[in-house]
Amino acid sequence: MTTALIFLPLAGALIVGLLPLQRRATEWLALAVALAETVLGAIALIGFNTGGGIQYVQNTRWISDFGAGVPIRYHVGMTGLSLFMVLLSAVGIAAAIGAAMIAGRDRSRAYLALLLLLESALVLLFTAQELVLFYVGWEAMMIPLYVLMGQWGGEGRRRATFQFVVYTLVGSLLMLVAVAVLGVTAHTFELSALTAHPHESTWLFLAFAAAFCIKAPLFPLHGWLPSAYRESTPEVTALLSGVISKAGAYGLIVFAVPLFPSVAHDWRWVFLGLGLAGLLYGAIVAFRQPDARGVVAYSSLSQMSLIVIGIFAFNSNGVTGAILQMVNHGVVSVAAFLLIGLVELRAGSDRFRVLGGLANGRPVMSTVLLIAALWALAVPGSGIFVSELYILIGAFQQQAVLGGVAACGIVLAAMYMLRWYSELAHEQDGETVSAETPDLRVGELAIAVPLILILFAITAYPWGVMQRVTTSQVAFDTPSKVQQL
Amino acid sequence: MTTIPVSFSAIGPEIILLGTAAVLLVFAIFLPDEPARRLSAGATVIALAAATAFAASQFHDHARAPFDHTLRIDAFGQSGRMLIFVAAIIAVAFSWGMGHLRERGVEYHALLLTATAGMSLLCVANSFVTAFVALELFSLALYVLVAIETDDLLSLEGGLKYLIIGSVGAAFLLYGAALTYGASGQLEFDRIRAGLAAGDHHDVLVLMGLTMVVVGLGFKANAAPFHMWTPDAYEGAPTPVTAFMSAATKVVALVFALRVLVTAFPRQSDVWQIGLAGIIIASFVVGNLAALRQANVKRMLAYSTVGHSGFLLTAVAAHSALGTRALLYYLTVYGAMNLGAFGIVAVRERELGRPVLISDFAGWGYRRPLLGIGMLICMLSLAGFPPTGGFLGKLYVFSAAVDNDQTYLAVAGVIATMVGLVYYLRVPFALYDGDAEAPAVSAGPGFTLIAGAAGIASVLALVLGIIPTPIIDLARTASNSLF
Repeated sequence: MTTALIFLPLAGALIVGLLPLQRRATEWLALAVALAETVLGAIALIGFNTGGGIQYVQNTRWISDFGAGVPIRYHVGMTGLSLFMVLLSAVGIAAAIGAAMIAGRDRSRAYLALLLLLESALVLLFTAQELVLFYVGWEAMMIPLYVLMGQWGGEGRRRATFQFVVYTLVGSLLMLVAVAVLGVTAHTFELSALTAHPHESTWLFLAFAAAFCIKAPLFPLHGWLPSAYRESTPEVTALLSGVISKAGAYGLIVFAVPLFPSVAHDWRWVFLGLGLAGLLYGAIVAFRQPDARGVVAYSSLSQMSLIVIGIFAFNSNGVTGAILQMVNHGVVSVAAFLLIGLVELRAGSDRFRVLGGLANGRPVMSTVLLIAALWALAVPGSGIFVSELYILIGAFQQQAVLGGVAACGIVLAAMYMLRWYSELAHEQDGETVSAETPDLRVGELAIAVPLILILFAITAYPWGVMQRVTTSQVAFDTPSKVQQL
Repeated sequence: MTTIPVSFSAIGPEIILLGTAAVLLVFAIFLPDEPARRLSAGATVIALAAATAFAASQFHDHARAPFDHTLRIDAFGQSGRMLIFVAAIIAVAFSWGMGHLRERGVEYHALLLTATAGMSLLCVANSFVTAFVALELFSLALYVLVAIETDDLLSLEGGLKYLIIGSVGAAFLLYGAALTYGASGQLEFDRIRAGLAAGDHHDVLVLMGLTMVVVGLGFKANAAPFHMWTPDAYEGAPTPVTAFMSAATKVVALVFALRVLVTAFPRQSDVWQIGLAGIIIASFVVGNLAALRQANVKRMLAYSTVGHSGFLLTAVAAHSALGTRALLYYLTVYGAMNLGAFGIVAVRERELGRPVLISDFAGWGYRRPLLGIGMLICMLSLAGFPPTGGFLGKLYVFSAAVDNDQTYLAVAGVIATMVGLVYYLRVPFALYDGDAEAPAVSAGPGFTLIAGAAGIASVLALVLGIIPTPIIDLARTASNSLF
């Protein structure tokens, strides 16, 4: 099952990339592969045993004897967290491919093949139970991403890509040394064996954490974020913010903390402090952005900081909230950036100065934008509200002051998201918006509606996510029974 | 005076290669240029394939030391031999249809065979005398090969620099051998160890000798600060020769370095490990920083090989079976990715008819999609991205360094890798520059062969990363034969 999830998009990427089909045929083929992957993921979700543990395991020899008698195994499987991250990737990529079809990217064959390649790497990294395999997925994710950022996008894309490459590679190469050291000293690369005998090295922990915190990103390692989110195509930005940033948080939850629990605990205040700083800084900067992407980009920084706070609160409420927030925010920010993409298609820009009045005569579009905005600001009753509440409870349990400041940070989200919506939908008609500017079309709704339905589903039944993930956080104190809201 | 029994099977590959070279030189003279070139290329490939098969057939035999310990025939040496032969076969494919060789085809292939034979002998040399003879045999042939385009000043300059600096390196090695002989009274590596066992391990004479040997090896492995000849020789040489040199000389230099250090000087390992660490870090710094500033692709790749010497020597410095396996695996991948990269550069060079700059690759990935992907793989592998072989090789080398408590070398290697990304990735960025338009140009005769060989090499660089187990198993046999 897991192997099929990893290799289906890979095979799809090769077929899409190499078959010289017509443009339309290529696009539908890519979409079919992405949807098949989503269906496969849904089947995995249905068959997933809520009792916990690692499921759909495949464990075979890959490299017999690597190093000092250390084998490298092809060991994949899914915890509850992996499952939802895989689903998020599948949904995100399918939506991105749909959006790319509507936007009509040039050289679509390469573009879509790279998106599928990215999906394959993401699924590998979310399901790897072995350190080297995880690293392979982590780095393999970067290659299509670099090309996607460097080849398609705005004017400044080369500079943005260069910054992104430098930031992320510095992190991941530090992690490579840490992987080698850990594997050789412990004589195994297996995650379960390594977490059973935790390591005490501060340096190794920081090497892992740096890689993950750059990807998340955690303040002040977010230098690559503004230009990357602005210069990429909306699809790539949606994936960066919705899915790839979650790979960083996933790494913290599954690797950095469980591998070095005591070190991570000693260092928690550094991460909590940076998380708070990022939460407030991101929110304030988001409020001042002149363009729609900028707002969502910095709100993404703010939300990821909140997730980091949840993780380093070191209790099951915090981490459960963080995981639920990863899923929620993933879907919301994919939806938000793809919607911005649709606005850009109409107006040719996402600057607030030339936008406005989209609600006037475009009821469907404004409704969809409003739902995205409400969810992003965590309106009470929404699924995101639940996850943020859990994170706050976790933060209060850790330290009341922490919880208090974090709560203030969350309120700021309402400010910037409401401004985002009103600048787009209300106010005077912008100079690029006219009466002829069309409402959302059927094809565009076909992308937006499923994402919104997923948000509604999580809102209606967050326990569906939580009951599957509560058992996958061994390292976070005694997993107390999480109450259903 | 006892006679030393002759073991023809021990030097089978050398006999095949030198015999073919001699036959070619004597008989092909009578043929017109074009048939002679074709015939000699064909004969060279057949001889190299036969030599590969010969070495492979003895791979699993017990190690032995024929000719009174002047050679040591073991799986380690045979694996070095096979790597060199395969690299030579690919180089022959690269030089097919090369314009400048029109009237020198026979000599070119005979020199290639001679160089290969010398390298092959050095892989199994177990005595300083054999080693020096083998070293000079392949070095002299290479000096001429670098300068074979006699009407090209760059080629001549490269050949001359290589000759002068290479001779200095050989002199160091020879002096070191003499001092070691003075200290131990022996020339064969295993006997040197026994001879040195009795006295002070850190005797001044021994250490002087060892230092000279390490410096001499540094020249041959083009490690900094003994790399000065590399960029000019690599740039000036015809690209197929550069490809062959980058892959094969590195193999032979590292295989020989490991053998001499591990067999003759195991008790002095604390000293030469420190010395190598200095050379390694210098190579990382010089190779990577200098490569940043190159516009010419061949020069950039030349400096990149200096940087890679650092990784390869890290595996040697580990002084362990693990390090030996890492070395052999890395050398295999290294050969594949360098041959692939230089081969694709050679294609572009023939299209343009002049040296290739990085900017000459702009938009080329769309013009020749398969070669573009090949170049992409080679660059990703050189840069150390998974799932290519370059990544696994680096991980392997780092593991060996960590296992030997030399984590600082792994950290230095990672920093070098970071810098390396900047220049390696410039090539793919150029390849897929959507704004640039690379006009279609014909590469002339031999395109299919050269592109095919380069493509195979680059695919190999990827496949070795995904299915490394066969090579690692072979490397284990090889390292067991040494330790």
